[in-house]
Amino acid sequence: MKALTTLIAMSGFLREYLTVLVFGAAAVAMVGAMLGAGSLLRPKRAQLQKYISYESGVDPVGTGWSQSQIRYYLFGLLFVMFEVETVFIFPWAVRLEDLGLFGLVEMVVFIAILALGLLYAWRKGVLRWM
Amino acid sequence: MPSLVAAAFEAPYLDYAALAPEIVLTGVLLAVLVVDLFVDEDRKAVVAQLAGVGLLASLLPVVFLAVDGDDRSMFSGAYVVDDFALVFKALFLVSGYVVLLMSTDHIEEGDYWKGEYSFLLLSSLLGMVVMSSARDLLTIFVALELLSIPAYMLAGWRKRDLRSNEAALKYYLLGVLSSAVMLYGMSLVFGATGTTVLEDIARELGGDASEPLVALGIFFIVVGFAFKVSAVPFHFWAPDTYEGAPLPVTAFLSVASKAAGFVALLELIFMGFFGQDNVWQPLFWVLAVLTMTVGNLVALRQTNIVRLLAYSSVAQAGYMLVPFAVGGSSDEAAGTAQTAVIVYLLIYAAMNLGAFAIVMTVARRTRSGEISSYGGLFTYAPGLTVLMTIFVFSLAGIPPFGGWFAKFYIFKSAVDAGTGWALALAVVAGVNSVIALFYYAGVAREMWMQPVPGDDRTPIRVPPALGAALGITAVAVMAIGVYPQAFARLGDLAQLAVR
Repeated sequence: MKALTTLIAMSGFLREYLTVLVFGAAAVAMVGAMLGAGSLLRPKRAQLQKYISYESGVDPVGTGWSQSQIRYYLFGLLFVMFEVETVFIFPWAVRLEDLGLFGLVEMVVFIAILALGLLYAWRKGVLRWM
Repeated sequence: MPSLVAAAFEAPYLDYAALAPEIVLTGVLLAVLVVDLFVDEDRKAVVAQLAGVGLLASLLPVVFLAVDGDDRSMFSGAYVVDDFALVFKALFLVSGYVVLLMSTDHIEEGDYWKGEYSFLLLSSLLGMVVMSSARDLLTIFVALELLSIPAYMLAGWRKRDLRSNEAALKYYLLGVLSSAVMLYGMSLVFGATGTTVLEDIARELGGDASEPLVALGIFFIVVGFAFKVSAVPFHFWAPDTYEGAPLPVTAFLSVASKAAGFVALLELIFMGFFGQDNVWQPLFWVLAVLTMTVGNLVALRQTNIVRLLAYSSVAQAGYMLVPFAVGGSSDEAAGTAQTAVIVYLLIYAAMNLGAFAIVMTVARRTRSGEISSYGGLFTYAPGLTVLMTIFVFSLAGIPPFGGWFAKFYIFKSAVDAGTGWALALAVVAGVNSVIALFYYAGVAREMWMQPVPGDDRTPIRVPPALGAALGITAVAVMAIGVYPQAFARLGDLAQLAVR
């Protein structure tokens, strides 16, 4: 009797996980179906141009592993800092009057903390182009 | 439905007293960043000292809030300061302080970036402190990212060491993957309930049979956190990351970061999804069995002490998952389960940090992580040997030390639940404790009975900071072992109210 109740309780567990199983199977089936249908339907005409990075536009020069100036990376990071600032300042500016003094103080704190990042970059000499 | 016309803005109620620990910690970490920029290279020790004093300073408001004892809630229940939050805030701040003590000499001697190290450690701790108060899906997620991202960088702190790079990369990639899985689960739960606040989610879900959408959401969220707490089968990253990262960072990850994952699980499971126990109970059951068994069996074969501790910490996570697998049947079972997890986390932090502090102290002289390098440690470093024996036997759960009490609570939660599944789990945990004893005792045997390799008996110098870290953890482990009632009371106090 006890074994039976355990079994029934367990089938409840299994029902819950059937969802997970069905979901996983659906995900695999969908990806398989899309890629499979694509490979069945599309015409296959091999041309050399199709193997370069950009099929249209400028022809690539050199290899894909050419080195670029590492400094661009640092500037990219700095750019992200200002970008984040903008993302939050725009919606704040739109409702500036509503948000009032509270909003102003919060924004000043936010900008001040982000500005410390700029201070950090400056002290570490990131801003000098050598 | 919220109306599309923007309502008049009302400034949210901010309880600055309740937020004091976070505010102090934020202030300190900003100060650390700035001070580091303006002190000379030879005076960088000031930065770490500032960080240490700052950590203790942010512990003060936690103590005041605990004495005051009021529960404070902000942002319509998304951010709560109650006993649960305060106990974990204190745990994170104290273990952060111990990690900082452990790092002092390690970072000093290793030609690291000292200022940034303290800064990132504090940022990660801030995330954990926020996590203790988070009662909302979004806040939990933001706290998790805030604590994880600095940890990814810390794992790769030995920049020119390939294994450290590997550690950071593996940790980062799997961390991001788990965040994505978790966020997807959260989006499903939000879709089904229309709210992100855990209390409201619990009200929406109730104890009804779960919709498929909710079952999926809970499944993905738990899987995401299974990565964070390195539960088998989501544990692959842990041993490699632990071995490659600098030792104090490994200690930090295996204690504080893991504890933060469990804090989030406690909040989510017992506040948000409690009625849906038929979804998460079996999942935790499987995770607990796998995590304990695989962690212990693989630990048996390790020859490197750091990898041994890594697998042991995987296995310890398995024990901590046991109460989740049995806590869903009633409010009472949930209470016992929560106490068990909270008590285990507190004790685990002390004993694991202690074990890592010993490994660091010994590695300063032997420059090796092999267990064989511990041969005959007793003949030339008796103090360290006794302490290490205490820590490993505590991890194994042998009576006079703290660990036995933690394990006792785990078994109590399983036996109290009383179902066949819970008892089976208790048996598995019991068998695993015996397996674990083999490798923990193996370390002790090496130290007490084996000959000294190379017969090099130069005594080990213990720097004051490491000595302080050892002292704090050893006293904690002994105190819990001798007077466990105090900690049990802490665990009872800190329970979240189950809805």
